[in-house]
Amino acid sequence: MKKPYQLFAILFIAASGMLFSSCKKQLEEEVYSEILDDNFTPGSGDVIALVSPVYSVMRPMMAGWQGYFDVQEESADCIITPARPRGWYDGGTYQRMHRHLWTSTEGQPVQLWNRCFNGINSANRVIDQITSGEIPVATGKEGLIAELRAARAFFYYILMDNHGNVPIVTDPSLADLPQQSTRAQVYEFVVKELNEILPQLSVKADKTTYGRFNKWAVKALLAKVYLNAGVYTGTTQWDKCIAECNDIIAEANTNGSFVLEPVYRDVFKTNNENSKELIFTVPYDEIFGTESVIHMKTLDASMQQVFQMQAQPWGGNCAVPQFINTYDADDSRMKDSWIQGPQYNPTTGALVINFVNTVTSIETSAANHGLRIGKYEIKQGMRGGASNDFPIFRYADVLMMKAESLLRTGKSDDAAVLVTQVRQRNFKSAPAKATVTGADLLKGSSYNYGYWDNGQITEPQGGADIQYGRFLDELGWEFAAEAHRRQDIIRFGVYTTKMWFQHRSSNQDKTIFPIPLVELNKNPNLKQNKGYN
Amino acid sequence: MKRTKLLFAFAACLFFVVIRTHAEPSPLNDPYFRRALTVTGTVLDAVSREPLSGASVQVKGSTRGTNTDKDGKFTLQVDNDNATLEVSFTNYIAQEIAVKGQSSLTIELSRAATNMNEVVVVGYGTQKKGDVTSAVASVKSESFVKGAVRDAAQLIQGKVAGLSVSTSSGDPTANTQIQLRGITTMKASTQPLVLIDGIPGSLNSVAPEDIEAIDVLKDGSAAAIYGTRGTNGVILITTRRVHGDARSTLDYNGYISVQTIARKLDFLDAADYRKYIGEGIAFTDYGTSTDWLDEITRTPVSHTHNLTWQGGTRTTNFTASLNYRNWQGIFLKSDNKQLTGRVDVNHSMFDGKLKFNMNIVSRTQTYWAGGNSTSFNNYIYRQALIRNPTDSVRNYQGNWMERAVQEYDNPVAYIQETNGENVQKEVRTNGNVTFTPIRDLHLKLLVSNVSRTTQRGFAQTKQHMSTTKNGLNGFAAIANSAFKDNLVEFTTEYTKNLGDHRLTILAGGSYQNVKSSNSSMENWDFPNDFYSYNRMESGNALGRGEARMTSFATSYTLIGFFGRINYVWNDKYMAMASVRQEASSKFGENHKWGTFPAISLGWRMNRESFLENVDVISDLKLRAGYGVTGIAPDDSYLSQTSLNYGNRVLINGVWIQSLAPVRNPNPDLRWERKEEFNVGLDFGLFNNRLSGTIDAYRRLTKDMLWDYQVPVPPFLFNSITANVGSIRNTGVEVLLNYNVVQGKQAQWTTSANFSTNTNVLVSLSNEQFKTTNDYFDAGATGAPIQQTTHRVKIGGPIGDFYGYKSVDIDAQGKWIIEGADGKPKPIQQATQNDKKILGNGLPKFYAGWNNSVSYKNWDLNVLVRGAFGYKILNFTRMFYENTKVVQYNMLKSAFDNVYGKTRLTNDLAYVSYYVEKGDYVKLDNITLGYTLPIKNKKIVRSARLYATGLNLLTITGYKGIDPEVNRSGLTPGNDEANKYPTTSSFTFGINLSL
Repeated sequence: MKKPYQLFAILFIAASGMLFSSCKKQLEEEVYSEILDDNFTPGSGDVIALVSPVYSVMRPMMAGWQGYFDVQEESADCIITPARPRGWYDGGTYQRMHRHLWTSTEGQPVQLWNRCFNGINSANRVIDQITSGEIPVATGKEGLIAELRAARAFFYYILMDNHGNVPIVTDPSLADLPQQSTRAQVYEFVVKELNEILPQLSVKADKTTYGRFNKWAVKALLAKVYLNAGVYTGTTQWDKCIAECNDIIAEANTNGSFVLEPVYRDVFKTNNENSKELIFTVPYDEIFGTESVIHMKTLDASMQQVFQMQAQPWGGNCAVPQFINTYDADDSRMKDSWIQGPQYNPTTGALVINFVNTVTSIETSAANHGLRIGKYEIKQGMRGGASNDFPIFRYADVLMMKAESLLRTGKSDDAAVLVTQVRQRNFKSAPAKATVTGADLLKGSSYNYGYWDNGQITEPQGGADIQYGRFLDELGWEFAAEAHRRQDIIRFGVYTTKMWFQHRSSNQDKTIFPIPLVELNKNPNLKQNKGYN
Repeated sequence: MKRTKLLFAFAACLFFVVIRTHAEPSPLNDPYFRRALTVTGTVLDAVSREPLSGASVQVKGSTRGTNTDKDGKFTLQVDNDNATLEVSFTNYIAQEIAVKGQSSLTIELSRAATNMNEVVVVGYGTQKKGDVTSAVASVKSESFVKGAVRDAAQLIQGKVAGLSVSTSSGDPTANTQIQLRGITTMKASTQPLVLIDGIPGSLNSVAPEDIEAIDVLKDGSAAAIYGTRGTNGVILITTRRVHGDARSTLDYNGYISVQTIARKLDFLDAADYRKYIGEGIAFTDYGTSTDWLDEITRTPVSHTHNLTWQGGTRTTNFTASLNYRNWQGIFLKSDNKQLTGRVDVNHSMFDGKLKFNMNIVSRTQTYWAGGNSTSFNNYIYRQALIRNPTDSVRNYQGNWMERAVQEYDNPVAYIQETNGENVQKEVRTNGNVTFTPIRDLHLKLLVSNVSRTTQRGFAQTKQHMSTTKNGLNGFAAIANSAFKDNLVEFTTEYTKNLGDHRLTILAGGSYQNVKSSNSSMENWDFPNDFYSYNRMESGNALGRGEARMTSFATSYTLIGFFGRINYVWNDKYMAMASVRQEASSKFGENHKWGTFPAISLGWRMNRESFLENVDVISDLKLRAGYGVTGIAPDDSYLSQTSLNYGNRVLINGVWIQSLAPVRNPNPDLRWERKEEFNVGLDFGLFNNRLSGTIDAYRRLTKDMLWDYQVPVPPFLFNSITANVGSIRNTGVEVLLNYNVVQGKQAQWTTSANFSTNTNVLVSLSNEQFKTTNDYFDAGATGAPIQQTTHRVKIGGPIGDFYGYKSVDIDAQGKWIIEGADGKPKPIQQATQNDKKILGNGLPKFYAGWNNSVSYKNWDLNVLVRGAFGYKILNFTRMFYENTKVVQYNMLKSAFDNVYGKTRLTNDLAYVSYYVEKGDYVKLDNITLGYTLPIKNKKIVRSARLYATGLNLLTITGYKGIDPEVNRSGLTPGNDEANKYPTTSSFTFGINLSL
């Protein structure tokens, strides 16, 4: 009887031994749907895939839900999101954005912070991997690193503009919590970076560099940074701005890389990627890059019938009536930018909705109140995501940046030539009106600033007292709904002093957003911006 | 690794020692064997004098033994005239009978008034209840909740102190929500480990009708043998099987039930609309009258049938069962059909030295998929609630009435134009072989495979709003998923009785590998509706790149070694010590292994001389235990640095995929550990007429898994899964049983249980991660309110509602709230600092009261249960008790004056006005049964008819549908606005035994 037991015991021990010896191997994780970094050696084909996360984050960031677009427009004087019959209260966030009462937990600026640092992180990581050789780059290593540094500087430019005092991090291997820099230090960093990388960047302005940072995109960015240098550092840099603009204008004149589109609308059409007016864009696609929801947020649900859309829009934001009233009747940018009046079903011919240029209040409005953003072509059969690429810098912007710098340095007549050049395509019905003079540009604004109460301006302020107000109006008409407005009215001193719609004058502290509360909690090195708690 | 090898060495040594001690004498070599005496006998129930089939008869001090046959008879050879027989049977008091030379015996067993001799299933084995030293609750089938029961947990709802079982949804496919002894983990699952005959499964793996007993290991010392999976407690389900020598039997259980909505929400009807239009409210009158809820609901009729065959001999027997349930939900098309077949075969060879068991359970579940992946799409219910009651189902052309209003879709069309089917098939195959080379040494090898596949189809016709409003031109989706769980376990158990000493030693190892995968595909723009979801390639969207295809796979491995020693001296003192070493592939290289020890002690005080003469006390046992259990995160790969192709970017005219990191890897990720201390007292008084259990526990979770917020940079993402923080749960549980009447014709037993739990988040930091603020917010109201609902604060409990405290309303109908300074202020001026704790969503107390009465052939069961001391955020009122949004329908109460002053005109807001007291008492289950008197039991052994009701009456001040709401996670007490309403069910059934 002994033998079977012993045999069994031996079998038991052998089996258990096998189990043990395989323990270590068994406990290694088997992956199926992701790539373990340790097992991955990037090939040359993967290089661009590894670089591209710095660009993909820009899509939700710019024209996405509560993205950069909303941060720049809803805090300014052209666009509002009033409560609608079926919602758009959303905890009061649109009202706080409009009234400059945002908090350190306000979603839109917090998101913007997150996305910028997400992009910065990607840039740092990939720069490090290319430098160390972990990502093998056979040719054009310097150019690629320069491009990534440009993207990183772009994210820092946005942070500088919106949150001001942010930590500068360039080394991905540092595990310590980053230290905060001042807005002026961030300015120095951005300017230094951009100037350093210029020689390594591609000078091509074609399909190969479309949607990416080439020399001209970086020069436009530099011009933008110099244009606002006074806001960031207290020291203006008009001449430097002009110099960068001149380089781009020279490229346009010699190589024809950039032009003003003869037809304003063409810059914003569904397939605008071939427009030579565009210097830097964030490309979107209704299939591959579907984050652009500007049309969804602005159109009333019923407009689904008008455009035979494959998604029902949400019907939220619209134009501030006071801003619409500033347009010249012959300026075609008005109808090129805004949807107004009766809208019809193209198949049945039935009236669907009639948009009127009035809004009861930020707390109450009807579905047809306020003109809607029509600047970006809404094609028939539109989907939830638009294909229109979102312009960050375009040639008209370069001309206008130069014009403003000239105007502010006493060369108003030279400025007027450029402004006229930009206006010409928009006054086909009254060509004479396209021309502006230097004297015109020195006038105040025609914007009827003041507190709005259901169609009445109850506390009028007007805009005549705004220096170069006429030029600010010009920026408003040309760049309406392009997420320029907050920056522009800060530069013109309007942002904190004027009342529009149901926004009352705020204070200088509001020119930057608070450091997000969640970031203060995560990193004790960060101090809250002045005026916030 | 070292420690596991040590453990293994220990197991191997034990094995050899046992072999050596027992290799010598075998009963077959016994010189006295030839003088053996053959004893025959009958075992009867002492009261009814019915024969007891399957009772165990053992010769004391030998391996010889048998079970009684179907007539209660046995034949056994004993060594000599002075032999003693040990006769035992489940739920009866065991007896020792001296043979004294008699060759024919009649043995009468009495039903155990107490359950001290009851067999309780514990980890990897069974124990006499009297020997148990930890908190274990056991519920047998006769005490189960009756009626249209959804799953195993509902069988014991309100029966186990400390186990909260809630049925918070009326969806026929929904399972119950269970929670044991509070919330011990914030990130990982709070579901207890469910073992069906030792194999991991879920609460619906076997049909409720097929379950014989459910045991719940409540405290850490009992659960620690399951190491890493035992943190939330262990629910051991024992299925029906043959005990001993069975006669061939066939049982049929069947029932039919109808349901009604537990409470209908009182929305405005068409007449109300017109009345308010007359008053100037800007409702639209479309000219008809429709009761939208009526249009999408029905009186559901469900039926369930269960057939069980049992038969065989003592050496080879089987149990087979077939269970079919066809349940309807209150919403049109909503249903659940399930067919479960089970075969359990036992085979014993070589005089019981080798025993085989094989068990196969096959389950097929089919239900209408109203949502693209979900059983019923709650959006449809919401549409029925908010749709204008003057609107019509169809327009004048006979087509579905749809309007260009956002989130305003015809609910009837939504149901009727959707096709969908979910089919889930699960096969559980397991077998085990027990080798008993010598007496009291059992070597057991268990092998199991669970395979589950789910196939899903979903389609919306061209009459669905996805086409009529959104222009998709027909939509379809399919998905498949596969799951496999392989388990191998080897255990060695050795029992030794030496005089007053009883020792049981268990050692074993376990290997589990789980893999799951899924794939899905959607498409639209179909030529016609004919194909539904059965010809996906006919759609055009996928080819255009618009529709999505996905696939995904994940796996993990768990390896464990364990040992346990149970020691009982003189039936008076008992001790248990166990340890489990376990490793999970989910952790980083140096953190895979964890050690989970446990110890518990018991003292049966009534056996002491100083209590022996106290007649009142029939049983008194003091227990104390300490055990450590662990928990692994639900997700695999959290320690890995990984990349994935994903987001596309336009490069040189082509939308290429970018390659980016997946997560913040945490190579230091390790086990979450829960240390639990439990003291308990089991008592029986007045001859066990009154018995009960009291337990008190303190659970401390350390290294708690949590998605910790980290700054970017240096981290890649905003959160990292890390072992931060600690949470503490304390509580008391009381169970009392009383046999009020115990006559021959009338019996009445009553049982009451009570439990309380307090939890505190002790910390949310570790040496690497430190929180700078002492709270975080959780939960979401959703649009358009967009606020968080709860605050979790260090030092405070989980489940605190956090928002504005409404105190008044102004003349314009806007909220006045209480500011941070305690003074009233208008809500428009409210800031984050004005938010306050508005109550807690977790009940402080649970209570249950069971009554079981029988008189002659009648039996009556009544279950009353309740939960007390908690608040509910009534989303329904928060969203629909407001006159501001006139495009949608609203509750009638929206027009009531708030605070007796005026109508509310405020934007929708989260204020304390909607945080209501949740306390309730439910008359949950009443069953009345009648057993038919049967003279000739040759054919029909028994027949019983019964009627039962579930969720019959709720006494509560809560204004929502049902105060039994979601209690899981960090947002307990949120009663979502559009959740599938709970129902009351009425059932008529029959139990038939042949």
